[in-house]
This record gives sequence, C-alpha cells and structure tokens, in this order.
Amino acid sequence: MSILKVAKRATGALLAAGLITGAAQASDKKDIVLGGSIPLTGVFAFAGVGIHAGITDSVKIINDAGGIEGHKLVYVPEDTAYKVDASVAAYNKITSQHDVNLYYGDSTAFSKTISPELDRSGKTLMTGASFASELNDPEKYPNIFIPGPTYVDMVGILMKHIANEKPGAKVGLVHSETEFGRDPVEGAKATAKELGLDLNLVISTAPGGVDVSTEVLKMRRARPDYVIFHGYVLSPIPEFIGQARSMGLDTKFMGTFWSMDNQMVGKMGEIADGFMGVMPYNYYYTEAENAPMLEKIRSMRDTYQSNAYMQGFFSTIMMAEAARNVIKAGKELNGPNLHEGLEAIKDFDTGGLMGIPVTVKGNSVPIGRVYQYDLSKKQMVPSSDWIRLD
Amino acid sequence: MRIGTVKESYIADAALFDTKVQRGWMFALLAGLLLLPFFTGQYASYLVCLVLINIVSTAGLNILTGFTGLVSLGQAAFMGVGAYTVALMEIKLGTPFLLNLLVAGGLAAVIGIVVGLPSLRVKGLYLAIATIAASVILHFVFANWTSVTGGVSGLSMPPASLFGFEFIQPDQVYWIIMPITVIMLFGAANLFRTRIGRAFIAIRDRDISAEVLGIRLLRYKLLSFAISSFYAGVAGGLWAYFFRVVTPESFPLTMSIFFLAAIIVGGMGSILGSVLGAVFMTMVPEVLKMMVGVLSPIWPDAVAVMSPVRIIVFGGLIIIFLIFEPDGLAEIWRNIRRFFHLWPFKT
Amino acid sequence: MDWLFFSEIGLAGLGSGGLYALTGLALVLIYKATRVVNMAIGEILMLGAYVFMGFSAGLALPIWASIILAILVTGLVGGVVERAIIRPMLGESAISIFMITIGLGSVLIGVVEIIWGANPQRLIEFMPKDPIFILDAYLSPKVGYAFLIAAIVVGLFLIIFRTWRGGVALRATAGDQAAAYSMGINVPKVFSSVWVLTSMIAAGAGILVGSIGGISPDMGVYGLSVLVVVIVGGLDSLLGALIAGILVGLIETYAGAYLGGEFKMLATFMLLVVVLVIRPYGLFGTHEIERL
Repeated sequence: MSILKVAKRATGALLAAGLITGAAQASDKKDIVLGGSIPLTGVFAFAGVGIHAGITDSVKIINDAGGIEGHKLVYVPEDTAYKVDASVAAYNKITSQHDVNLYYGDSTAFSKTISPELDRSGKTLMTGASFASELNDPEKYPNIFIPGPTYVDMVGILMKHIANEKPGAKVGLVHSETEFGRDPVEGAKATAKELGLDLNLVISTAPGGVDVSTEVLKMRRARPDYVIFHGYVLSPIPEFIGQARSMGLDTKFMGTFWSMDNQMVGKMGEIADGFMGVMPYNYYYTEAENAPMLEKIRSMRDTYQSNAYMQGFFSTIMMAEAARNVIKAGKELNGPNLHEGLEAIKDFDTGGLMGIPVTVKGNSVPIGRVYQYDLSKKQMVPSSDWIRLD
Repeated sequence: MRIGTVKESYIADAALFDTKVQRGWMFALLAGLLLLPFFTGQYASYLVCLVLINIVSTAGLNILTGFTGLVSLGQAAFMGVGAYTVALMEIKLGTPFLLNLLVAGGLAAVIGIVVGLPSLRVKGLYLAIATIAASVILHFVFANWTSVTGGVSGLSMPPASLFGFEFIQPDQVYWIIMPITVIMLFGAANLFRTRIGRAFIAIRDRDISAEVLGIRLLRYKLLSFAISSFYAGVAGGLWAYFFRVVTPESFPLTMSIFFLAAIIVGGMGSILGSVLGAVFMTMVPEVLKMMVGVLSPIWPDAVAVMSPVRIIVFGGLIIIFLIFEPDGLAEIWRNIRRFFHLWPFKT
Repeated sequence: MDWLFFSEIGLAGLGSGGLYALTGLALVLIYKATRVVNMAIGEILMLGAYVFMGFSAGLALPIWASIILAILVTGLVGGVVERAIIRPMLGESAISIFMITIGLGSVLIGVVEIIWGANPQRLIEFMPKDPIFILDAYLSPKVGYAFLIAAIVVGLFLIIFRTWRGGVALRATAGDQAAAYSMGINVPKVFSSVWVLTSMIAAGAGILVGSIGGISPDMGVYGLSVLVVVIVGGLDSLLGALIAGILVGLIETYAGAYLGGEFKMLATFMLLVVVLVIRPYGLFGTHEIERL
C-alpha cells in the first residue's frame, strides 16, 4: 500500500471518527460507556476474540434499536493478554479517560482485584469472563455479576445429570491449578456427597503442564465412570481422553462452559464423540422458535461464532438491561442503582440467547443445559432440557 | 562549550554532580517531580508510578549485576517477597507503611543472602541458574503456603494511609513512591563513593584479584546480594501499595528477565543507566499500544499482533543493545552530552 | 504401596527422562563447542514443533516429509541465529552471550505467536496408538515410542561424535579453541555447524514433546527443566546430560504422581540446589581452575 493511500484511508477514518463523535454530541443524552479488559492476545485469546466480537455486535444492535432509552452505548476495549496487572492498567486507563458505568473484566483474579476499587468509586457495574462461585455473593461483591451459572452450579448440573444416569457413580474432577480451575473443587465435593456420588479422584494439573501421563495413570487406578474437566479451553483434555481410550477405559468425559466451544471440541477429532458439558447459552447454529436475536447474529455473521461470542453478547445485553431499568426508574446511573437494576431483571426475554426467560438470582443467572457432542453432525446437541437451579 | 573542569580536592572529584549546571538540572528535575501530578491525568500518573517502581528494582539489580558482576534472575521473586511482606503486615498488623516497606526490604535482603550463599562456590552461569532455582522455589511458596499467602488467589490489602489519609489513586500513591525512589537512587549513587561500592566494582572486574587486594569475597558478594534484594523488596512493597493485590502470578520469571533487559538497555554499572533503562523498557509497550491505537482504524487486526510484537521488541532490544551498544543508553546519553560540551569541536 | 502403580510411574518418568536427555545433549554440545549456554533451547524446541505443525497440518504434507522439513528448517534457523547474533559476540563475556540467548528466546516466542497465534494447538497423531504393556505395567504409547526414538538418536549421535571427522573437529574445538585453530580446524565453521546440529536435535525433541502433550508458545519453559538437567549432569559432560536427564525425568514424574502436579518444578529445582551445594560443577562436569 502506498503512503498516499494509507494517508487517504487514515484521513477517511479520522473523518468517520469525527462524524461519529459529532453525531453523539448532537444527541442530548449522555453516552453510556462500557469499558472492557479483553484478553485479545495471550493464552485466553481464543475466548477474548469471541467476547470482543460478541460485545461489538451486541452494542451495535442495541444502538441501532435506539440505544438504552435514547442513550448511546459506547464500547471501549483494551487488550490485557490475560494478565491481571495489564487488566488493572487497562481499567485505570479507560476509567481515567471516560466516565465508565459498565465494565467487562477478563478473569476471576481481575474481578477480585478490582472489586474494592469498584466499591470505592461506586459508579460501575461489572461482569466478565469469570463464573467463579466466590463472586456470587452480593454482600461481598455488590458491583459484580456473573452472566450465567457459577462454576459450582455448572459442576452441580453435570453431577445431577450423572446421578440421574447412574446413581452412585464414581466421578473424577480434573482441574487446572489456577484461580479459575480451583474455584469449584470444594463445592463439587459437597455436591457429590449430597447426590450420593463417589468423587474418588481430584487431579490438579500445573499450568503449562503438557505431559499428563502420570495423571492418566491415576485415572486408570480410580476408574471413574465420569470425569469432569474444569479450567481448560482445550489442552490437555484430548490427551486425557485419548490415553484413557487407549487403556480401554469407557469413562464418560464432561466439561464446564469454557471447554464447550463447538469448534474446540471438534478439534479433538474422533475421541470427541460423546463429550458432554454444560452451556448456559444457545449455540450459534441452534434452531429455536422465537429466537430473533440468534437470527440477527446469523445475519450479521455468516460463519460459526464461538461460545465466547455468545458469552460476550449475553453479558452486554444483561448490562444494558440493568442500565435501562435504572434510567426507566429515573435514577442516577451508579453502582448501587445498577445493582438494583440488575436485580430487577425478572423473566427477561433474551431473544433466544438463553432458551428460557432470564431471572437474576444473587449475582448470577443459574440456568444451563447439558449438551453432548455428536460426531456425525460435528455439533454439540442438547441432551437435557433447560435446567433452572433453585 | 566547557573548557575543562578543575578539581582541587579528592572530594570534588568524587562529587555526584561535578558542575553547577548539573546541580541546576538536578533541582529542576526534582521540582518537576514535585509538580508532575498536578499536570497529568490518572493514566499518566499510573505510568509514572509504574516507571518509578521499576526504577527502584532496576537500580537494585544493577548494583548486583552491573556493579558486582553477579547475574541474577531472581529479582522479581525478591520483589514478591517484599510485596507479600507489605500485604501481610498491612492486613494483619496495620503498621505504618514506612515500617512495612523497611521490613519488606529487610526480609528480601535476608532471603537474598541465602540465595547468594552459593555465590562463593559457583559463579557466572551456574549462579544465574541458582537464582532461577530460587525464584521457582519462592513462587512455589507463594502459590502453596495457602494459610499465609492466600494461595493462587493471593492477598487483597487496604491502601497505605497516613494520619487518616488514604493513598488510593495513582496520583496519591505517587507521593509515597516518588520520594522513596529519589532517596533510594541517591543511596545507590552514594554507595559507589564508599569502600563497599568500590569493593563491588573490584569484584566485578576480577574477583580473584580483588581477593588478593584484601577484599573478603564472600562478605562483599553477600552484601551485594543483600543490598540488591533490599531494593527489590522495597520495590515490591511499593508495587503492593500501588496495585493492592498480590498474587503468585504477579512476579513471574519473565519479570526478572525484564529487569535484566532494563539494565542491559540502560547501561550496566551506571545509576543513570538504571533510570534510563527502566523508563525505556516500561514505556516501550505503551508506545506500541499508542501505535496500535493509531493503526487500528486502518488495520483492525493491529491489536491482535500487539502482544507478540511487544515480546519481539523486548527480546530484540536485549540483542541489539548487547551487540551494538553494550554500555547502553547511558553511554548514548554521555556521548550526546559530550557533543554539546565540546561543540563546535569534534569529540 | 501399590508397586504396579509405582513401576508405571517409573516407566513414564523414564520416558520423559529420555526426552530430557536428548535435549540436554543439544545444550551440552553447544556449551562444549562454543562455551555458550543456550537459554533459548526451549524456544528452539518449540519452534521446531510449530514448523512441523505448519508443514503437516497447514500444508498437509505427509508426516515423514514434515518431520524432515521441520528439522531442516529449524537447523537453518539455528545457523542464521549463530551467524547473525552469536558470531558478533565472540570473545565477549559468557554472561553477555547468555543474555543474548534469553533475548533470542523472547523473539522466537513472538514470531511463533504472530505466525500461529497464542492458542495451544495439537499435533497430528503419527505414533501408533496401541497401548504398551511391560509385564503388567501400562506405558502410554506416545511416551514409549518417544523414548525409543530419543534413545536411537542419542545412540547414533554418540557414535558419530566419536568416529566422524567433524565430530573429532568438534571435540578438538571444545578442548582448546586456539590449538584447534592452529591445527587447521575451521573453528567458525565448527561453531555454525554446532548451532545447526543442536537446533535440529531440539526440533526433533520438540516434535516428540509436542506430540505427547500438545504445543503452545509457552512450551519453551521445557527448556528450564533441561537447564537443570545439564547443570546437574555437568555443563560439559555428555554422559552427565544422559544420566541427569533420566534422573530429572524420574524425580519430576514421581513428585508429580505422589505429591501433585504443582510439585514437579519444585522437585526439579530442589535437585538442582542440592547438586549445586554438593558438587557445584555438576555430577560429571569439570571444575575449571582459574588463574590470574
């Protein structure tokens, strides 16, 4: 590209930017800023890219439909490489340049880190990529919510499914040795006891640890009927399954939300057949009645969008809905009011993102559905109805 | 043009700032530091604080590596020791922050001495690798001594406070970080006007010769480790007050490499080099980020290559400086200065 | 005590030890010939695995061709690196070159991330999948075959090193650079070929390691364990690298199995500390005497 062309395009872009800001100024209602610490690079980039696309599209749809009660929603993202200090830096940068009322954070650790700051500033409602059960405490984390069930809830949904299929089954839990991975361990132990399951194997894998042969040997000893993976996107799940199959184990394998992307599961190859997991949203390809939002997504993007996309999309409309409730009530946009606005979300129709109407409970939306991978269709297909946890 | 500097006494020769002009600039710089937060936004204050913290740690590493010739890849882990100490004292005891920082430095120094113990028997590469071992072991302790360090989730701590005033925002914490950085830098500069500092340099240049000259190797090597770790500990403490959350992942091995890169780029064996190196290495990612911001309207994927480019630039700077300017930015700075001093004559 | 489990873990440990030994060999060779500790060995290994993936999955070449090409390309990269950034540093202090290789590692990670992205990837499966049973003890087929291949490469390599002319030149250079020069050995050429050769070994090891556990840009941390291997064995001892490789593999795996995954690295580095205290120059390394 010649320098001239670059210059031309740059001026064009600047002009466009000017027009946009001009247009925003023209409307007398104040913009609502949605800041985001988004892991566009680094180990969680797969999710970050999807989340980014989801939020972008969702913001566009909201603004095309007249914004939030006439207020335009502006999305300001910043890359974090999935590092806590970079996330904090991004938060500082965005909040120092804008008046931020809504925020998307990228990790459990970041959510916990920034929580005192949110309380102090009292302006912002935050959600994010973390479903950590620890955050599901409106007393301790009044300005954070989880766009779905917590990890403990997810494991609980899976265990209920197991208890229905095979009462008293032996269950294993394999999790990564991170804050994200450790979250549901204690909860899982309690749930297993409650449901009469024998949780006879809990393995933690070191981050970046690639060789899982000793862990697989432990699995061979314990011979669990089911193994639940938590804290991974893909690796080392295929290694576990592959080696278990080669040993002749007929264990069933399951995953929590972040292991549930259709394309990622597809990457496992043949061994993906029968892989189960819990997912709070519909997939991109789900054919459901009364799902105008899914139709809209499919018309905006003609290729498959990941589960992370759905997560980002859903997070945005939930935040927008909370803000809408605040404005409708004629209150000022700030942390406590936004929290009230969020709690006021009852039987909210997401346009098909979730299969059933959404009601916020505590800091979370405890709804999910069990899916199973069908190798012949190369798709995750539902194997349960929508489950609402109470 | 400067004709020459006449020094009539040894004290004048050893002075930190040998001309009036230099002293004048120094005061201007200090005044600038005092006025800075009134002119910058939160984000700029944030960056300045980060730079200052890195300067303290880089200066510490330069004492060990640049002046004493002992390579360490444990600087980040020592910072971790300091950060955890500060966080624990603030949470459990609520003691004043100055005391916490001192204890943080002290504890880091003690651990530095322990890590430095093999330095009498092994040196060079073996020592560098021993310090990697130290950082792996410390990381393990941070991540697994859950009852004290909070395990992988780490510790969240209250902000520093003085007479009821809480230092929360970057432009507030600045008033803790900036004076301490200045004091520590002056301390480091003065160190090399004393016997201890000169002994360090002698050890760096040839440790066996230094021993022949009557310098007790073990004592001085350990002292160097202790001082360097003290700086790291204080820097870690400041880091903790700045971010108010300490996790094991906050101080990875790559951070130690960052400080090593900073002294290489800045200039080994130079206090000015520590400052320049820390400023430069901290600002490079920011400049890259700004470039991404400029580029993204034309090239929307710019942000996706940002992180790898940052890693490449980081490694590339180490390589380029080692090959082309082993004395770092400090040498470039001196050359520029010399040019103006001698102008219109050639150097 | 479950002895079957114990022996199965031992087998797995032996397997990963074989790969450590192979990579350790590469590190020792570079050190012997050029007095450089190559901190980027883990990253070169990672590069090899990614290049293999590029050829096999990206361009869909047959496995054998991809392996050969990956090894050649990585060897080429090694040669270029030597000419571009190691040669200009000849005569500089060991520490400077050590730090150059740290910088190199960082550059390689960035390059791989730009080309292939930061997500963890899987290599195409090319090793037989039938489980191996030694008596009753199960051994993962990948680990088993990887060990076998590593052992063959190491064996071949030692034979070449002893008999082939180039190997002799290399040993001569290692012994005394100046003397080797005066005997007509082309020392710069030896340097280049050592870098090429060790990068090729690392690439091979990378393909094996990657096919066991998948690849990601941060798999270079594997190099840290290899570093421990060569320090424990002695930086200039081939035999030391082999023995220490197996030792580290076993200790790491036992620690991982009986104490938990997070203890792996700790156990490895504890071993390093113990060896540094007892025998500062490694189990089989030579203690260099310094004179003024």
